[in-house]
Amino acid sequence: MNDYQAEGVKSVLNQTRRHFFAEAGMSLGSIALAEMLSGKSAQAQAPTQGNAMSPRPPMIPARAKHVIYLHMAGSPSQLDLFDDKPELRKYTGKPCPDELLKGKRFAFIKGVPNMLGSPYQFKKAGQSGVELSELWQHLPTVIDKIAVLKTVKTDQFNHAPAQLFLHTGTNQFGGASMGAWATYGLGTENADLPGFVVLTSGGKTPDAGKSVWGSGFLPSVYQGVQCRSEGEPVLFLKNPEGLDQQGRRRTLDTLRQLNEMQARAVGDPETVTRIAQFELAYRMQITAPEVMDISREPKHILEMYGAVPGFVPESDSAADPRVAYKGTDAQFANNCLLARRLVESGVRYVQLFDWGWDHHGVSPGEDIVNTLPIKVRQIDRAMTALIKDLDQRGLLNETLIVWGGEFGRTPMAQNSPNQKFPGRDHHPYAFTMMMAGGGIKGGQTIGKTDEIGYYAVENPLDVRDIQATVLHQLGLDPWKHKFSYQGLEQRLIGVEGKAKIPPGLLA
Amino acid sequence: MNHMSVVFSKVYLLAIISTAYARAEEAKISFTQEIRPILARHCFACHGPDQSQRKAKLRLDTRDGAFSDRGGWAPVVAGNAEHSGILERITSTDKDEVMPPGGPEKRLSPEEISKLTSWIKQGASWSDHWAFQKPVNHQLPTVKDTAWPSSPLDYLVLAKLEANGLKPNPLADKRTLVRRVSLDLTGLPPTLDQVNEFLNDTAPDAYSRLVERLLASPAYGERWARIWLDLARFADTKGYEKDRSRPMWRYRDWVIAAFNRDLPYDQFTRDQLAGDLLPGNSADQRLATAFHRNTLTNEEGGTDDEEFRIAAVKDRIDTTMQVWMGLTFGCAKCHSHKYDPISQTDYYRFFAVFNQTADADRGDESPFESFPTEPQQAELKQIDRQISQLQETLKFGPPPRSVAEKLKSGQDRKNAILAECRTPVYQELPEKQRRVTKIHQRGNFLDPGAEVQPATPDSFPSVGGSGPVNRLAVANWLFQADNPLTARVAVNRHWAAFFGTGLVPTQEDFGSQGQPPSNPELLDYLALAFRDSGWSMKSLCRMIVNSSTYRQSAAASPESLSKDPENRLLARFPRNRLEAEMIRDSALRVSGLLSRKMFGPSVMPYQPEGIWRSTYNTDKWQTSPGEDRHRRGLYTFVKRTSPYPAMITLDAPSREFCNIRRIQTNTPLQALVTLNDAVYVEAAQALARRMVRDSASLETRARISMGLELALLRPAKPAEVDSLTQLYNDQLAWYSQKPAEAEKMATVPLGPLPQGTNAAELAALTNVANVILNLDEFLTRP
Repeated sequence: MNDYQAEGVKSVLNQTRRHFFAEAGMSLGSIALAEMLSGKSAQAQAPTQGNAMSPRPPMIPARAKHVIYLHMAGSPSQLDLFDDKPELRKYTGKPCPDELLKGKRFAFIKGVPNMLGSPYQFKKAGQSGVELSELWQHLPTVIDKIAVLKTVKTDQFNHAPAQLFLHTGTNQFGGASMGAWATYGLGTENADLPGFVVLTSGGKTPDAGKSVWGSGFLPSVYQGVQCRSEGEPVLFLKNPEGLDQQGRRRTLDTLRQLNEMQARAVGDPETVTRIAQFELAYRMQITAPEVMDISREPKHILEMYGAVPGFVPESDSAADPRVAYKGTDAQFANNCLLARRLVESGVRYVQLFDWGWDHHGVSPGEDIVNTLPIKVRQIDRAMTALIKDLDQRGLLNETLIVWGGEFGRTPMAQNSPNQKFPGRDHHPYAFTMMMAGGGIKGGQTIGKTDEIGYYAVENPLDVRDIQATVLHQLGLDPWKHKFSYQGLEQRLIGVEGKAKIPPGLLA
Repeated sequence: MNHMSVVFSKVYLLAIISTAYARAEEAKISFTQEIRPILARHCFACHGPDQSQRKAKLRLDTRDGAFSDRGGWAPVVAGNAEHSGILERITSTDKDEVMPPGGPEKRLSPEEISKLTSWIKQGASWSDHWAFQKPVNHQLPTVKDTAWPSSPLDYLVLAKLEANGLKPNPLADKRTLVRRVSLDLTGLPPTLDQVNEFLNDTAPDAYSRLVERLLASPAYGERWARIWLDLARFADTKGYEKDRSRPMWRYRDWVIAAFNRDLPYDQFTRDQLAGDLLPGNSADQRLATAFHRNTLTNEEGGTDDEEFRIAAVKDRIDTTMQVWMGLTFGCAKCHSHKYDPISQTDYYRFFAVFNQTADADRGDESPFESFPTEPQQAELKQIDRQISQLQETLKFGPPPRSVAEKLKSGQDRKNAILAECRTPVYQELPEKQRRVTKIHQRGNFLDPGAEVQPATPDSFPSVGGSGPVNRLAVANWLFQADNPLTARVAVNRHWAAFFGTGLVPTQEDFGSQGQPPSNPELLDYLALAFRDSGWSMKSLCRMIVNSSTYRQSAAASPESLSKDPENRLLARFPRNRLEAEMIRDSALRVSGLLSRKMFGPSVMPYQPEGIWRSTYNTDKWQTSPGEDRHRRGLYTFVKRTSPYPAMITLDAPSREFCNIRRIQTNTPLQALVTLNDAVYVEAAQALARRMVRDSASLETRARISMGLELALLRPAKPAEVDSLTQLYNDQLAWYSQKPAEAEKMATVPLGPLPQGTNAAELAALTNVANVILNLDEFLTRP
């Protein structure tokens, strides 16, 4: 490990292994302990050094301080939202040519499926004239801020492995997620809030489970913390029933007195670190509910996002949430607004997952003529507002926004025997993602797919390139941001390091 | 059983220390400890074992390569730094010549260069990587302080301390010892009665008898199973998208029982890796093979079962190598190992051994077998008796409806029992169906290369005997006398369980990229003693906890802190935060809530609402009724995609893959768990009631002292009682004004107050108990 790579780990070890008199400066515990032993201030203070989450300078010049990643779990159809294929419409209903099927594995398609053109019209939007599906009502107004990447490829064609691959760099369990890599490298700006926050909507957590925001081989302090826009925002944040915040303060004062006696008696700096963690927990109890309370927003901002404080969709209590989706469900909108508030408060990485985008057309609630328009309505206004709102606050420059699924969808209709509605199978070879803010050049399309949208024909991109771009914009060199584990120099973009920053993407 | 005598006769000890232990000269550079790591870090990626990556056909990981004549020059010329090619290239100022390539940040540090230079000047002694050579018996060193050591192990620790100008701590007091050793051996703090029993026992062997009581306690198996279950990636669900439940608890119970009966490590291993292949195997041995059926099963629609069967087999061989040999085998899936002598061919030969089992990522988890517990067996017998009695009556004509119904309900109950204990097992494919194994090029199973035959890795001693190289042969191979790693890796894991850090800190990597052992002689001593004990894990534990090294106090003197900040030499006992499960178990134990029920299906203690929202899975978290809510942490249901929040916050793994060590952290989210999680609130309420019940008097100070003593197992200090009494009085005043709040604080979720108690008093005492259960001292093993 070189010095830089070891930084995050060292800080964890400083806290956990009593690395007492570190060369670069004593750890928090030892400073406070020294003060305590010398009879000076016994106040536990916020960790400023030696804390795993304290802010660290970037490795390379940073273009973004924060990331908001909007993941549409299930994977939306690029062919019905971004990538217009007039040729494909002509073939609708005709059998898929053999060369597109030969040697290919599909998740559900068996035999020879028919081609499926998009039922939607496309229009040029904004000054840049980027093409968008008619399903987008609001997005066209901010398209000049957005780069549309049409040729992203992944290695995986099942949800769980593809989500893991995208977020952790490996299709196996055990990798560290992008947000964990970010906080491991950079810490966070507000110690009173988790540095890596996860918000979910759509009634389910992502297919690969909580490992998609896990810390893998990195210390567990870097794992994402799932927060909620209704109820208790962070698990265990609420005091027990019958204890108010003043009472909590009172108990913590006593706890601190006793723990300080212990620190003096035993001389273990870890005790002092623990005292500080209780103080941080207290401050989080005060800060998090304030930051996470979107009802504090003025009416015009709530309307801008379509947010409804405390909204609990019907779909949340349905056995299959997808059949109960409504276009007016405000959960995603609430999460977008919350994401802005979190970023504004210094949270490093905000990860949204919206479930319900797996539109095979096999059962109700998952096709491209009924469900897709509903899902687009749930996100269109909100993510448009997010971009505008960040922009008007001067935060878009320092916040990278990423949008996409874990793969794309096939130009062929799925041909299951029980097919009821038009729908598409999983397609890993070329799909669309969007990026905005944080040093991205907006109002442009990058990459071109063939006439039916099967493969990239210009500027092929890879999920690895997205990972590299996220780290790069944060000021972390994707090739050098590493962690030694199991005899390998692990990194987000994989040990082979085959990744690039898409040409032309950066402003 | 052959175990170490505890109170070591000093005379005997002195007798076996026949000659002085020859310590290497300070200035002498150790190839193993200092040089090989430098070469591994900077050179092996291009000049190491991986042939496909090798540049200039030069190897620096072997003696032949490093000293090879390359036509007029050699990379290393013993005793001659000027003529050693590697030094010339490493120190070159020509940017096209300098090694390693890749810019200034890749270069060796001046310190590394000076070490290499000295090593060459000193004669460039070369030996293979330390971990790949058999452990050897070292003569015990002489030490200055002969009063401190009480076992050979202590001599090896003390010699290192003295060489570094450090002195070990004196032994810890009895209260500290009993809490420490109980937590370490059983995962539970002792009860006050157990503490008092030990304090009152003034016989010289009181401690060793305490150790024997703890080793004989059923809780010992639960504690050590917890560690093993992290390695075994034991969980109650299958993983991936649907993550449905799968009954694996019978395997968990097998592990607990195996530890409790001190099943020797070689048999413990053989049963788990190949119980099904043992001649005349028992149900118990077949159940043990569920170890490798803990791999994930992917039931996501549209997945290729063969892809995920192969993923499971790869996970099994990576896990096998990690757990038993401490090797990072996994990287050889795609290419030969860059640092250790493991080729891609080695990987797929080993894969071929494990590639012959009948499981195939099937939704029904076949092959499986039902393993009824003893009570279940009794019930099954009874049902069978009833069924045969009922069937008797059928002989006399058409059955009345009631008989038919009884028959059906009997059969249903029987099926339910068999389903509940139906556990996936290992089963070898019949000869005719055996799979052909080919190398997966770049790790891709769709890109097959050359066919390979089952074998163990080339650079290790080969499998003895003439039988087929199957799983059983591999299990035996691990325990061959010439296997350099198995014993070391196991003793290192035990050492880490007691001292927080292994003698080899990188427990997961004994290869050339791992850290060298802090005390190689001690590691070898323990490894050989473990082997000679007949692989008894209880003997190993006994040997460690009876040592002075283990029994010394944790007080940190400024001198030992500055000389050895990381405490690698152990001049003091390391304090460590309790593990996730221990925190839970301790809080439940001292509050009197802990259920000591063992075994059975996993249980669901309190968990916040809305945590489980897996895709295409309608399973619900339903808080277990009765005492099942208060079982030890290792019985908590583990859902892989949504692990129990309090546990993962406290650094427990999600059990999707083999986890060799938990890296401890100290975070505000952990503080929130022990302050506010319903589990800990309930424990505080119960502790408060216990303070009232067990206290000698009705006085507040007596109650608070009782609470401190119950939790910390030592008499309360007046200053502590003062501080908590002030808190109590303040809170009592508040709760007296707020009866509704008092009621909630004292009863939610524990339940109604005992008769004749006062809600405000108990609410205030609950606040006090909440503080006690969050004390650093309570959360830390002393």
